This record gives sequence, C-alpha cells and structure tokens, in this order.
Amino acid sequence: MQTPAAPGDRQLREQLQQVGYLADADLATTVWLAGELQRPLLLEGDAGVGKTALATALAEAQGAVLVRLQCFEGLDLAQAAYEWNYGRQLMAIRLHDGQPGTVKEADVFSREFLLERPLLKAISQDGPCVLLIDEIDRADEAFEAFLLEVLADYQITVPEIGTLRALHIPRVILTSNGTRELSDALRRRCLYHHLDYPTLAREIAIVKTALPEADTRLVEEAVQFVQRLRNEDLSKIPGIAETLDWVNALHRMHHHTLPEDMAVLLTTLGCLLKTREDRFGLGADRARQLIEGRRTVGVAEKAPANAAAS
Amino acid sequence: MNTTPALAPSETLAGFAALLRDHGLSVGVAEQQAMLQAAMVLGGPNGPRLNAAWRAIACHSAREWRLWPDLFARYWHPERLRGQVRVSGQTRPQRDLRQAVQQMHEQMDHAAQPPPTAAKAAPQTAADAPHAGAGDSEAGTPRAMGGASRSEPQLEALHQRDGQMWLPQELGALQRLARQITAQLRPLPTRRWRNAHPGQRLDLRQTLRRSVAWGGEPLAPAWQVKRVEPPRLFILADVSRSMESHAALFLRIARAFALEAQARVFVFHTRLAEVTPLMQRDSATVQEKINAVTAGFGAGTRIAASLQDFARVHARAQLRRGARVWVMSDGFDTDAPEHLADALRALRGHGARITWFHPTRQAPAAAAVRNAREHIHRFVPLASLADLVAARPVLH
Repeated sequence: MQTPAAPGDRQLREQLQQVGYLADADLATTVWLAGELQRPLLLEGDAGVGKTALATALAEAQGAVLVRLQCFEGLDLAQAAYEWNYGRQLMAIRLHDGQPGTVKEADVFSREFLLERPLLKAISQDGPCVLLIDEIDRADEAFEAFLLEVLADYQITVPEIGTLRALHIPRVILTSNGTRELSDALRRRCLYHHLDYPTLAREIAIVKTALPEADTRLVEEAVQFVQRLRNEDLSKIPGIAETLDWVNALHRMHHHTLPEDMAVLLTTLGCLLKTREDRFGLGADRARQLIEGRRTVGVAEKAPANAAAS
Repeated sequence: MNTTPALAPSETLAGFAALLRDHGLSVGVAEQQAMLQAAMVLGGPNGPRLNAAWRAIACHSAREWRLWPDLFARYWHPERLRGQVRVSGQTRPQRDLRQAVQQMHEQMDHAAQPPPTAAKAAPQTAADAPHAGAGDSEAGTPRAMGGASRSEPQLEALHQRDGQMWLPQELGALQRLARQITAQLRPLPTRRWRNAHPGQRLDLRQTLRRSVAWGGEPLAPAWQVKRVEPPRLFILADVSRSMESHAALFLRIARAFALEAQARVFVFHTRLAEVTPLMQRDSATVQEKINAVTAGFGAGTRIAASLQDFARVHARAQLRRGARVWVMSDGFDTDAPEHLADALRALRGHGARITWFHPTRQAPAAAAVRNAREHIHRFVPLASLADLVAARPVLH
C-alpha cells in the first residue's frame, strides 16, 4: 500500500493494530470511509473471520462505547429500540393518586419512563459510540425495514414523544453470515465489505499478536495446517477464532511444534472441527497427509498415505 | 468501442458506473456521489485506497464483491489486461462487456455485416479440443453459449430465434406455470412459531409482558402460528456448446422462476456464474446479457467442478434442508465421471433435493450421470414448454 502523508485510514489501521486487530489495508480504508461518510458498514463473510471482533476492536481503538444488538428470529421493537417502563409509570400514577390534577399524561410518557434498548441507547450517547448489529440475517424482514429509519437518519420515532435524533452519530457495523438475502434497501444504505479467510502470512501475524508467548514454529506449523484444512471438504470451515483456540490448546500442552504423535494431534482437533462428520472425516491418515504437504517427503514415503486415504 | 476513460472526471465516473450497471451492480446517483466524494478525499483511481473505497460503496453483495477486481481493472487499467493470457489460453481484450454490447448494437443496426476480426483466438487447451474447430472465425465477437451461431451472424440470429420461439402469450403461459409450480413447492415446516394475529396458540410470555401496560390485565393477547419456510430454489443451467439450442429455453424458464420463486439462477460450462440480478430485470435482452457474462468461458462443460463451486462458495450458507437444486444439462461432463457423483453427494449432504432436467427424451446416458443416479431425486425431460406442463405434477 502507498503511504501518503498521514492518511486517516492508515492511522486507523495502526490504532486497530494496537488493540490487537490486524486489519488489511482495504478493510481499514473501508472502515475509515464509513466514518467519513457517516454510513453504516455491512460486513459479510463466513463465521469466525473476525466480523464481530472488528466492531469491538474499533470501539476500543477509538475509546468509544460499544453497544451491541444481537439479532434473532422474532426480535421486535421492544427488544431492539425502546419500551415504556410500565411499572414505573404505574407507580408514579399511584404515588400521586390522592392528588388530582398533579399527574398529566405527558408526565408518564416522558423520556425518564422510557427503557433504552440497544438502538435507542446508541442514539442517545453523547460521546463516540460503536453500534454493532450482529447477525442481521437472523432477524425478520419486518425488523430490517424498521432499521432503515435508524440507519439512514440516525433517529427513532417514538409516537408518544416524537422523533429522537442522535446527538453524536454512532458508527454502525452490521454483520451477516449470508443465511438469508438482505433487502436491497438495507444493502444500499450501507458500505459493504466481504471478509475472507486471512492469507497465511496474515493469519500467522494474527495468532502471534494474540498469543505472543506461543512458540513461533508451533504457530507457523499450526496455521499452515489450518490453511490446508480449509481447502478440505468440511461442513464447518475453521475460522480465525478456531485457529487461536487450537494454538492456545497446543501451547498449554507444552508443545513447541505440531505433535508428531497423531493421536495427540487428533485429540486437540476438537478445537478446529465442530461437527461430527468433519471430525470423523479427518482421520489420522488424512491429518498426516495435510502435515506432510508442508514437510518434504519422498514419493515412496508418501504413496502409502495417499493410497490409504483414497 | 471506447474503453479508455474519458477526460472529465464526472464523465469518466459515469462511464464506469454504466459498466458496473451493465454487470448487475446497483450504482445510482447516491453511489456515484459517494464515489466522487471518496475520490476527492483519497485521490485518483491509481492507488489501492480508492479501489477499496469504491468497492465498499458500489458493491452490495458477495457476488458483486467477487466481480469487482475484474471490472475495476478492465475500465481503469485496460493496459494491464491487454494480452493477458488466462488458463483457457484465450486472449483477454475480446471479453470486454462494453465492446460486446456495442458490437451487438452495431450488428443489429447494419444487419448481417460480418464482425470485424480482431486477433485470432489463441489455441485452445486440450480440454477444449472436441469443440475447438468452430470458434476460430468468431474471434473478436463474444463466444457465449459456446459460440451459439457458427453459421449465422452472431447475436442477431439468437435474438430472432428467441422472438420466433416466444410469443407474448407463451411468455404469459410460462409465467403462470411458474407461479403454479412455485405454489406447489412444499414449504418446509419448522418447530418455531412466529407472531401472527389471529393465531393458533397464545403466546403467554408476550401476553403477560403486554399486560403490564394495563396494570396486569391481559387486554391484548398475543398469538402465534407455526412458522413455515418457503423452499429455496436454485437453478443451474448448462450453457455449453452441446446445449446451445436448449439454453434459451432453459434461461427463459429460469427467469420465470427467478421472478416467481426468487430462485437463484446460475449458468455454467467451464465455470459457474450467478446471473440472478440479470434475470430479475424485465428486458428482452436477457439472453444477450448472459452471453456477455459467459463470454470469457472456454469450451467444454465442467459440471462436477461447477457444482462443487456452487456448494462451497456461492450457496454455502443457503443450502439447507429443503433446498431444491434444479440442474438443467445434458450431462456431458469433461471432468472425470466419478467427480459428479461426489459433487452431488456433497449437495445432498446439505439436505438439498436435486432434480435433473435433460433436453432429451431419455435420462442422460453419460457415464457421469449414470454413476450419480442414486443422488438425483428425479429426472425430468425438458425440451419445450409442453414438457414443463407435463412435469408440473412431479415438481413439488
């Protein structure tokens, strides 16, 4: 990447790096641009590539409050935006029961009786704020439509009070695993970035940053193994989080390189392979083959392993 | 045929936006403004920063994301692509969509002028050999549908044939048929409930929660009904040379289902490409657009590789229990025969139900398909609209 004089994206990239998130140049530019244009950022990609981690890192790097809305099926306005605090309203009415005329309707439908859920909380922050709307594809279409107002104008309309505008525009990050097609309207309001699995060098750097105490050789070998594993026909491809778990597990078992003993290796593979089919699909032979891909072995030595696997 | 960017920045950007729109990206005025804004902050289109910024603005889905690097390079850095050789061994500049579309128009205007010959196509790879002879005279024109018109002037002929085949009432009938078939695709029952009014059962939790507003009186009961999910439909149409006379029909049918059932439509011969966005627009030139998209494909048909790509990359997150995958192909595969069975097994492993539409009366006799028979739920002959009518009862 070119390095013109103090560009904002480069600075952001460094800030993210300081809090342990290694973003590539393109991602840093996109995140920075989303801030400049005050547009939400939609991140798509497989599970475990660091979508949610970006939001937490961004909040930490910028000293902002992180407000997280985890989406699920059936998520509604009351859980996402606001709800009236009925208990308090009733109490206020009861307290003033004996004194007619002291409680007006406007009194019990004021801001202090409003329970802030994540969206309203993000909008009413008076300092910098990162709003993470996680796994938006799990929410219903109806909720997506509601989000449009929030994301386009950074405001929420409460019928009894009026429109509440953001005091400080939050930085919004939406993540999606692509299990459902999002509406065009939502997509067009966002900047888009598709996060892929990291390259070998970047993944090694990520693991080294997260686990500085682990042996360099172990990290390199393990990451290479995971990178090869991702090309296998798996139903759940291991993400970065899984690599970190695995290297951490091996490190705690005091391994300085990948264990030679396949039995040991296979017992730790639960960190990487999360379904029964994947786990049974990868036997000792296949695992050895994946490791041998990296080590130089003679044809004669490799042939039996190939034969066994096929 | 001007691929070099114009001089005025706004004009240049507009040209680029037009190219993006040609490829199904939704780039409107708002996007162009944002792109211009980004360009003002980040500098000219030579640096990687502006590339990344524009990509974030103009792309709205993973499909567009994957398409981007090629489009960007093609418009802003045509010099980097010129003469570049791809795996198939063909030279690159002939594949420019803008060139293709413009040429198409020229041809339609001055009917039957032979296309200007650019450099001849480079020798094709071994895999292409069975089909190689036909393509040479067509270098410089899009070689879609596997060079759909060896003897006639290119796309005009396709257009005419298309028009002859499809009268408006036939199109209407196809659309109705697609609607009926979509209606009988069995939805997938789930164990979940969704809010609805009126409903089958009381949502006690929600009712109690709402009752708080009335001091504990359940004045506004909440109801729920069983949640059913409409089945996801994926249509994969073979547009290789061996299928050239049927591809138009397949694409028409695929388009009808893309509109009625929100099917995702893919075309393949040596590679797989998604064409759903092109299908959703109402345009008589769907065929030509798809020609342009597939223009870079080499000859041959790699069904197994295309299906693997489909399951691993394109539809990975959406292939679930109850998904319907319709493959429209004659089954002639240049991959090794056993690969197809593996690819179909993997698809079945995701819970998809596979229906194979073949243009012949009999189910395909190709070795690859014979080996993979057990993974295919049903074979359906499809050579005309009447066949689809006949198949209606079994498509559910």
